[in-house]
Amino acid sequence: MNTDYTHEPSVIEGKPSLASINEVVIKPTETMPNKKFLLAISFTMTLMMIGALSLGLSFYYGTGMWGNNNPVGWGFPIVNFVFWVGIGHAGTLISAILFLFRQKWRNGIARFAEGMTIFAVMTAGIFPLIHVGRPWIAHYLFPLPNQHGLWVNFTSPLLWDVFAVSTYFTVSFIFWYVGLIPDFATMRDRTTNKLKKIIYSIVSLGWRHSNRHWLNYEMIYLILAGFATPLVLSVHTIVSFDFAVSVLPGWHTTIFPPYFVAGAVFSGFAMVQNVLIFIRKIFNMEHIITVDTLEKMNKVIILTGSMVGYAYAMEFFIAWYSGNQAESFAFINRAFGDYAWAYWIMVSCNVISPQLFWIKKLRRSIPFMFMIGVFVNVGMWFERFVITVTSLSRDFLPSSWAYYKPTMVDFGILIGSFGMFFTLLLLFTKTMPVVSIAEVKAVVDGAQPSHHDDDEEGGEGHE
Amino acid sequence: MSNKMLYSLAALFDSPDAIIKAAKTVSGKGYKKFDVNTPYPVHGMDGAMKLPPSKLGYFALVFGITGATLALLFMWWTNSIDYPNVIGGKPLFALPALIPITFEVTVLLASVGTVVSMIVFFFKFPNNSHPVHDTEYMKKVSLDKYGILIEAGDDKFDEAEIRAMYTELGAVSIEEIYFDDEEVGWKPAVFDEKFIGFLVLIALTVSTIAYFVLNKALYMTPFDWMMHQHKYSAQSPTDYFKDGYSMREPVKGTVARDFMPYLYAGQPDSAAKYLVNPTFPNDENLALGKERFDIYCSPCHGTFGDGDGRLNNQFPNPPSLHTDKVRDWKDGRMFHIITEGQNIMPAYAKQITREQRWAIINYVRVLQRAKNANEEDVK
Amino acid sequence: MSKFQLDYVKKPLPAKVTMIGAVVFLIGVIVLGAGFMSDHVRAAFNMNIIYMFLLSIGIGSIFLIALEYIAGAVWSVPFRRVNEVNAGIFWVLPLLALPLFFNMHDLFHWTHKEVVESDKFLSQKAPYLDETFFYIRSAAFFGIMILFYMLYTSLSKKQDKTADQKLTSRAIKMSAVFIPIFGIGVTVMSIDWIMSLEPHWFSTIFGVYYFSGSLLTALALITFVSVTLHQKGYLSKYINKDHYYNFGALLFAFTNFWAYIGFSQFLLIWYSNIPEETFWFINRMEGGWGIVSLLLIIVHFVVPYFGLVAQPAKSNPTRLKIMAIWIMFAHVLDLYWLIMPTYSKEAPVFGWMELSLFLVPTGVIILVFAIGSKKKNMLPVGDPKLQRGLEFHL
Repeated sequence: MNTDYTHEPSVIEGKPSLASINEVVIKPTETMPNKKFLLAISFTMTLMMIGALSLGLSFYYGTGMWGNNNPVGWGFPIVNFVFWVGIGHAGTLISAILFLFRQKWRNGIARFAEGMTIFAVMTAGIFPLIHVGRPWIAHYLFPLPNQHGLWVNFTSPLLWDVFAVSTYFTVSFIFWYVGLIPDFATMRDRTTNKLKKIIYSIVSLGWRHSNRHWLNYEMIYLILAGFATPLVLSVHTIVSFDFAVSVLPGWHTTIFPPYFVAGAVFSGFAMVQNVLIFIRKIFNMEHIITVDTLEKMNKVIILTGSMVGYAYAMEFFIAWYSGNQAESFAFINRAFGDYAWAYWIMVSCNVISPQLFWIKKLRRSIPFMFMIGVFVNVGMWFERFVITVTSLSRDFLPSSWAYYKPTMVDFGILIGSFGMFFTLLLLFTKTMPVVSIAEVKAVVDGAQPSHHDDDEEGGEGHE
Repeated sequence: MSNKMLYSLAALFDSPDAIIKAAKTVSGKGYKKFDVNTPYPVHGMDGAMKLPPSKLGYFALVFGITGATLALLFMWWTNSIDYPNVIGGKPLFALPALIPITFEVTVLLASVGTVVSMIVFFFKFPNNSHPVHDTEYMKKVSLDKYGILIEAGDDKFDEAEIRAMYTELGAVSIEEIYFDDEEVGWKPAVFDEKFIGFLVLIALTVSTIAYFVLNKALYMTPFDWMMHQHKYSAQSPTDYFKDGYSMREPVKGTVARDFMPYLYAGQPDSAAKYLVNPTFPNDENLALGKERFDIYCSPCHGTFGDGDGRLNNQFPNPPSLHTDKVRDWKDGRMFHIITEGQNIMPAYAKQITREQRWAIINYVRVLQRAKNANEEDVK
Repeated sequence: MSKFQLDYVKKPLPAKVTMIGAVVFLIGVIVLGAGFMSDHVRAAFNMNIIYMFLLSIGIGSIFLIALEYIAGAVWSVPFRRVNEVNAGIFWVLPLLALPLFFNMHDLFHWTHKEVVESDKFLSQKAPYLDETFFYIRSAAFFGIMILFYMLYTSLSKKQDKTADQKLTSRAIKMSAVFIPIFGIGVTVMSIDWIMSLEPHWFSTIFGVYYFSGSLLTALALITFVSVTLHQKGYLSKYINKDHYYNFGALLFAFTNFWAYIGFSQFLLIWYSNIPEETFWFINRMEGGWGIVSLLLIIVHFVVPYFGLVAQPAKSNPTRLKIMAIWIMFAHVLDLYWLIMPTYSKEAPVFGWMELSLFLVPTGVIILVFAIGSKKKNMLPVGDPKLQRGLEFHL
């Protein structure tokens, strides 16, 4: 393998013409859904209905339908919440952090990943909502004046969650929408359908690809990326605070914030990679979402997977090093107690399986990377399960120790969350450009002026 | 093209290099009102057009600082001023724990504020009535061409000269862009009286309908099972009983648990005859008697039973307890008086338990003996 | 593209650089030596700070080399040689560790046998906090670091002559092996040399905390050296504002990263309020140390944050140089804050002895750079990515 390092490898294969990019990206939104699509969406909607039914049961009969018991007050809902918020993090990482690092390969996948962020956060939002018990007055989670004269507890990590997740959703949405404006304008100028034209005119706000606008547009993109980067770190950091500010062994450990962030990116990348494998195939985008891009994602998966592995090891070591009996017990119980099966699923899926990506051939093999992606997501789901349940089921009072067993309704809600996520995703692929047209056009070979003259001093002014 | 108003003269180019060159030429010749339209941001274009750097960063800074300040001030006010509340042993203004929310609000306000400012103030959007919309020029730019246009309003605008320049630069096509006829002289109808009236009417209708639909037609009291229960509250009236009271008297002869009825009600003599003091005046009993006496009896009868209590002269003065009559009374009779009252003295059965009544009597005996001590006692 | 011509000509550093380095170093050593004479415990703690600071430079620099290879970074290629020279500090580090090895009893509570025996927790930790094992760990760490340092530099040197692209591929593979080992190594070093000063205290994030400060410091050093070298014409004329911008942006990013890690550690311990953890922070928040903690936040976070937040500041060479020096100073303060409270619990001590904290590292860094760069090209002239790196534009 002789890589040529002297030339920048193109992130878009085959130098497609700009017009063909329009064609490829917009086409899915112009054709009627075919059978496969209908089949897929009916499947995901069935899953969603299972979730709705389970939720209905939970509301009708109460939370006794769940497996939560006395020491394990936090069961599936919190596990699912953390899982889905984590999935969302990859999108922001791709769209914001890689943007700041000027990684051009992100351009082909950023839009889709951002979409996944929004849908994942929406899915995640369900769980705290149902967990408050009375979702129709959930607005009291915000500091609204009320007849008791009481305010919400600003020092509670659960309230931090409210602010973090709602801010995260809003900013991700804005970021996504700002990215969509030029593409909507492109679609507006392409369509011949009158109704579509009106809709696209409204949502594109009258964008006219003016460079005087691009100047500010690129600036706002940079600013939003600059905000979204610490924001995405803060969101999972705050999710980790839900656990880590407590005094429960196995939850209270200072490495939680970066460890949760790494884990979130890890599972999110696996999910994005899994979905992209289908998208590029179905919509003929193999030259835009290239194998190189997927390989780079796999590299991020190894990196974050190893970080997660580092955190596991560190927790174990410090649990022993601290000399604190409760701490050591919590970790030994994790690995060899009642939930050892979950723990070892987690370790083998999260730490061991991604290490296979060190081999270049496997890293570039589509079926293999798909499989690892699934493993990673399973492993990361189990990680949250292990953290939540093992610590709670063996709390400080041995007389109240109990084994947590999820019920069918718990599983139904979990299945429903997948159904909701994929339904939204499928609808997205049919209604909006799943790849950013403007961003991809900008990184096609020959899309940028061929020489930088020396008279462009001042860093060209576009930052 | 008779009397249409010319907006600008536009040219399309094929490659990014050509458009950069065109932009440099146009800006170099001193045109001010020109614009470049490209399907994506072309590197180096801002320099070629001599555009000043974007000022959005300052907006972000101002919005961010505002967000941080407001969040911190609000959290400080709620928990330190408005409703001070110690939570988890933390100080009222627990700064480390407030940082996450401060950060989130900062990011939220900065992002939303900057984006809205950009769209509204920098782009003047939404604006779908710009002349370039729906032109061949715009459609080509959206697809794969790079366009430049010089507005007719520019001081140096000269159609022939610009055409020549475009051709020289290698333009693929040159197009005149006109204002839409119906949009010339068009003013936003937003401030039209009729329009405003119409808006007000709609607002009123919608809010009225919404009010009735939400608050009357679809009104649901959420989870009020506990408010309405199948029982009567105390003191509430009822139609079920003739007397209209929902609270009922107990059945005649009912005795409460642990309650001993007083057998000699209205019969002081029988009480004197049959009731015997069951207690023995030891130290403990007398201490109890003294305590109760000081609480219940002394206000009228005086601390030593002389009938000179604090309430002296406010009511008919009570008699002294040291008269011969009282000294000769049996314990039972005194018990009866404490239980039922006498003359103006009320009944104390509710305040003083049986044992305490006997203890008080023992104590009164001690007081009587002290006031009339015989020789032996003085020894 | 045809316009590009590598304009690099090797220019030796002026001799006075070595002189200045030697003089500063000598004064520092004299101060330190005098310190050991007058109060050897305090001097040992000072030495620990100096050692950890220079270790930061070493691990940060070598990590940046590995990071460049593994991330496929292009813009930083012209500056890799500066990192390679700075990482040469690994030759000196074992020598600097020697005075510490001779003063283990002054530094580390757990080296006292009788203390360990009477303390339940310490005797439980004894298998790890064991002097022999401690030496083995340090030796192994130096061994691995020096091995990789030699591999990287020899490879880079070879490439100067052959311009062989395969060497870059090899370096990428090497980095993939190096980074996990590095992660474990740095964690162990930070636990050994800093965390075990308070043997009862523990924090899982500690390795990451030390790493974040180290990376920031190494970045500050390479920024300062690169900007200075470029201004004096030792590098290439192609280096432009966009390269500077990247330095500024990275410094800014890692300033925030350090603050994030530091805040996470503090908030979790402060909030949970478990006595076996909080005492470490209480020692640093009460008495005279409260001021130092506050100062640390301002010096290590607030000043660099506002110094680098603006877009133009990130590519302004003067601002970058000032901020780079400032950040290195801040890292000394950070280490002082981490290490010194063990020596004096009540209040911070700062006297003539502590001048060595600045003199010795400055001297060592200058000397290492002056000597290390003597025989080397300041640009990796054979690197296949060099041209792209020099022509880098945002």
